[in-house]
Amino acid sequence: MALQSRSPSVRTRTERRNALLAGYRPLPGVHDELVGPDGQIRPHWEPFLSEWCALSPDELTQRFGLADRHVHDTGVSYRVHGDIDPRDPTAGERAWPLSHVPLVITGAEWQTIAAGVAQRADLLSRLLDDIYGPGEMIANGLLPASVVTGSPDYLRPLQGAPGGGALQLYAADLGRGPDGRWWVLQDRTQAPSGAGYALENRLALSRAFPDMFRTMNIERLAAFFQGFRAGLVARSKRVEPRICLLTPGPLNESYFEQTYLARYLGFLLVEGGDLVMREGRVHVRTIAGLKRADVIWRRIDGDFADPLELNASSALGVAGLVQAVRKGSVHIANGLGSGVVEARALMSFLPALGEKILGEEMILPNVATWWCGQPRERADVLSRLDEMSIAPAFRSAGGGLDTGPVVAADLSAEQREALRARVEARGMDYVGQEVVRLSTTPVFQNGRLQPRPMTLRVFAAATPDGWKVMPGGFCRISDEPDARAVSLRSGVRSSDVWVTSDGPVDHVTLLPTPDRIPIRRITGTLPSRAADNLFWLGRYLERTEATLRLVRALLGRLIDTDPTQGRNETLRRLAHLLVSWGASPGGRGQTPASQASAALHALDQYGSAISTTREARRTASVIRERLSVDAWRLFGDMQQQLTLGEGRKPSEGEAYETADRALKSLAAFSGLSQENMVRGPGWRFLDIGRRLERGIATCRFARHFAETTAPSDALDALLDLTDSQITYRSRYLLGASLQPVLDLVMLDPFNPRSVAFQIDRLDTEIRDLPSLTEDGMLEAPRRLILKLAAECRTAEASRLDRTSILLFEQLLMGVSSAIADRYFLQNSGPEGSRLTGIA
Amino acid sequence: MIYDVRHITTYGYSRPVPFARCILRLQPRDDGGQSVQRSELIVTPRPAERVDDICFFGNRMTTLTISKPHRELKVEMRARVEVRRTPPPFPGLTRHWEAVGALALASDSLAPDSPAHHLYPSRLVPPVSAVTDYARQSFAPQRPVLEAASELMGRIRREFTYDPEATEVSTPLEEAFRERHGVCQDFAHVMIAGLRGLGLPAAYVSGYIRTIPPPGEKRLEGADASHAWVMLWCGPETGWIGLDPTNDLIVADDHIVTAFGRDYADVSPLDGVVIGPGSQKIGIAVDVIPVG
Repeated sequence: MALQSRSPSVRTRTERRNALLAGYRPLPGVHDELVGPDGQIRPHWEPFLSEWCALSPDELTQRFGLADRHVHDTGVSYRVHGDIDPRDPTAGERAWPLSHVPLVITGAEWQTIAAGVAQRADLLSRLLDDIYGPGEMIANGLLPASVVTGSPDYLRPLQGAPGGGALQLYAADLGRGPDGRWWVLQDRTQAPSGAGYALENRLALSRAFPDMFRTMNIERLAAFFQGFRAGLVARSKRVEPRICLLTPGPLNESYFEQTYLARYLGFLLVEGGDLVMREGRVHVRTIAGLKRADVIWRRIDGDFADPLELNASSALGVAGLVQAVRKGSVHIANGLGSGVVEARALMSFLPALGEKILGEEMILPNVATWWCGQPRERADVLSRLDEMSIAPAFRSAGGGLDTGPVVAADLSAEQREALRARVEARGMDYVGQEVVRLSTTPVFQNGRLQPRPMTLRVFAAATPDGWKVMPGGFCRISDEPDARAVSLRSGVRSSDVWVTSDGPVDHVTLLPTPDRIPIRRITGTLPSRAADNLFWLGRYLERTEATLRLVRALLGRLIDTDPTQGRNETLRRLAHLLVSWGASPGGRGQTPASQASAALHALDQYGSAISTTREARRTASVIRERLSVDAWRLFGDMQQQLTLGEGRKPSEGEAYETADRALKSLAAFSGLSQENMVRGPGWRFLDIGRRLERGIATCRFARHFAETTAPSDALDALLDLTDSQITYRSRYLLGASLQPVLDLVMLDPFNPRSVAFQIDRLDTEIRDLPSLTEDGMLEAPRRLILKLAAECRTAEASRLDRTSILLFEQLLMGVSSAIADRYFLQNSGPEGSRLTGIA
Repeated sequence: MIYDVRHITTYGYSRPVPFARCILRLQPRDDGGQSVQRSELIVTPRPAERVDDICFFGNRMTTLTISKPHRELKVEMRARVEVRRTPPPFPGLTRHWEAVGALALASDSLAPDSPAHHLYPSRLVPPVSAVTDYARQSFAPQRPVLEAASELMGRIRREFTYDPEATEVSTPLEEAFRERHGVCQDFAHVMIAGLRGLGLPAAYVSGYIRTIPPPGEKRLEGADASHAWVMLWCGPETGWIGLDPTNDLIVADDHIVTAFGRDYADVSPLDGVVIGPGSQKIGIAVDVIPVG
């Protein structure tokens, strides 16, 4: 490898090590991951430190660059709650804050953690089955019914339903106390996030330190995901089940992770609107009709999953889903009601429940918790209020505490009394918890290591061989040196977690062994929503290209110092077209130059290049799992190119340059989609969108610039707009004249910019789309395009006029709506209005 | 008392609706001093799928799918119900309210009639401290629970204005409370919020009330209405008692219960999702006729 350097001398290494550790001082009274109580580096960090110190500062910077570039290139991002602009779902996404120092944990210690997390997953899973089933724990007094009913995630319609609370993926947020023991801070059973981010962190850091993974024997993560997937497959009644990942959509804070995992695990990414109930079963709406969904891995909260029987205000779910679950016709993971055991109130009962259900003591204790719904516990909490953190007993519990835990000692006397009064009045809404001090782990800052408090999220999956724990996890590191667990809310940095093994580790990837791969060419099913978005992505991109070409033609003529005959007339027509499709403002006071600038940069013009690029990016963001990283990046580049700095007024030359550069980015996207996208139905819809838009735009250009009275400069402009200048000149020695130009632009099937060429392509693409009819009759899109193709092939340039060109344009629009009617969701959903009124 | 109840709901759409999925909770309950002698649900157009079921709280629930285009959806419920409730206990002899709250909280049952379901905020009944304070004025320490709750009910009857124009299904409880106006649904939600704020298990009931036309006037066809009130759990011996804050009545044989839940969202008589553009118009006709 290029970065491999000659081994530095022992002295250099020692110097680097001293500099790195200079000033590393663990906080008093907390456990530090790197440095032991004796002030010595803990031995399991030594291999990492020595590898690190073998690198010069320049090499390190380069390595970090590799990791950061991986993060940037894959578009790893997250979103902060409330940071949402529905018009632009990619706004508010944050780059992923990756710490370059992993958390290192020994294999021996990990065994305890893994055993503890698996045990807890097992317990919670059995408890869920009991709550939604026989209810023995409640009947025999080990769990008050009101600890269950207080949770908004206890979903009564799932009571008694098969798999109503089935747990498939569990996560525990752990912290390490001052005595070195690990504690469970919080259970995650609803729809745990972070497993995909853990995987991403691993990929990023393995870019930076590939050799360390080998020398330190770091446990791999892939086997865990394989087990998780096998667990989902096992829950289906079909051998090759269709597994969907149900996402809340691009506005969700972890949408990136969801698209990433769908791709990694080979699941179909769907939104609620993609699913529909028919005859008691859940189906995906695809371009080939309704296809059964066997297993749904949901990333929406259970309560939002069915607007009929659960939260009526939800637009994320599927009407009737609960009924399908009751009938057992679909398996949902985690079960819709699984969130109920996340309640803090439950934590005070878990040790006793563990004894009863598993006959075991808990390997990992949870934070000591007292539910104030019990008179004795409440009195106890109130008598020791100053040592406690008071937290809502349930998600979104009342009493004005829904902001999360508070440390009573931090409150003013007045606030404390108010809190006491609330706990006395409705104790059931609160728990008292011991204040936990978190351990610290090193982060690299200003060339040195610094201790920072952290929590560790560990994942367990229900596999056919029982609960398996991911050997690693998602470490969140606070930037505040305050080590109390309650002050670490979302964490500001995250880090990879390295579990070292004593021997070499198994190398598992999600790719099956070569001899067991069944050969497949076209992958899976294309949901109608994805088809819709790809189609519009194609149209927006092509519209952007047409606008850019108009702008370039306009500016080219303005800059050109040698005015040809009819120039002003052509300028007027070009500007008129920009105005008519909403790219530039019309009216007095506008010059061609100001209109060209608006057509590039004006956000308030819906047809400007920047606006259609933004629309393209918004559309693409919904189908990100179907686009390559390179393609996605191009949208960002284009948006940047077209964004005008505050108060900047570019010259005509600069504007020309901008249009030119943006056209190049578009060409790059076309190249990528031509060369790198599989010719499946997805590509087909993208291409159909582009061809239709190009055909329609070319007809419009022809109508505007190829009248019989048009000056030759107008025909010249038409050749520019259709990028056919060179072809024309190679064929005809004379300047532009009407019929040859019309033939080249409209009817020539060999010119890839002509209308005829677009129609030919549409004919091919549409022929290859799946058909729903079995009676041999042609479906509407196919019927229309055949007719149009026949018209086009038999047309003659000498007979083309405004009216006949307009007819082509209208027929193309007819094809567009026929495709939309047939393949997209518009008529059959997404869920429309609701019945209202007191009935 | 035996009643014939007829409840017709009609949705008219400005444009044809190709697909609808609805959930109906319209047929009366067959328990708690009520016996349903017959009951039927007629839906036009004929649904493609229909599932009759009992929901968690024991209410009758019907799920429908209509998959052919229609401009009108008509749901007609007819039932004959005999109502013969055990007379309510003397309010002054019920347990004191703090004990009732403690017993409910310690409940060891998730059964549909368990008080544990009705102690906490629900979708349409959020915690509102002003409402709790309002309710508390009737709940002196150690006061018998039904006596205190009846007083609260009477205060709502006197201090709130019944005004069908003032609120809609979507009007938040806080607003109805602040303005002291609304319809039966609002009064029930306000009273439930107050009782739950004090830690008492309170539920929401939908149904009908027998109306007696003014002297000398004939009963008007279809002019009755659906109704809503509150149920309060008064301890294991007494169980659930109905309290109607709109009329300041402890429920006896003039009320017919359709459905029971935590708030309106659990029992809404007709809820659904229709697909298609256009606006909708709703028509409702209710008749409650005592037949013996």
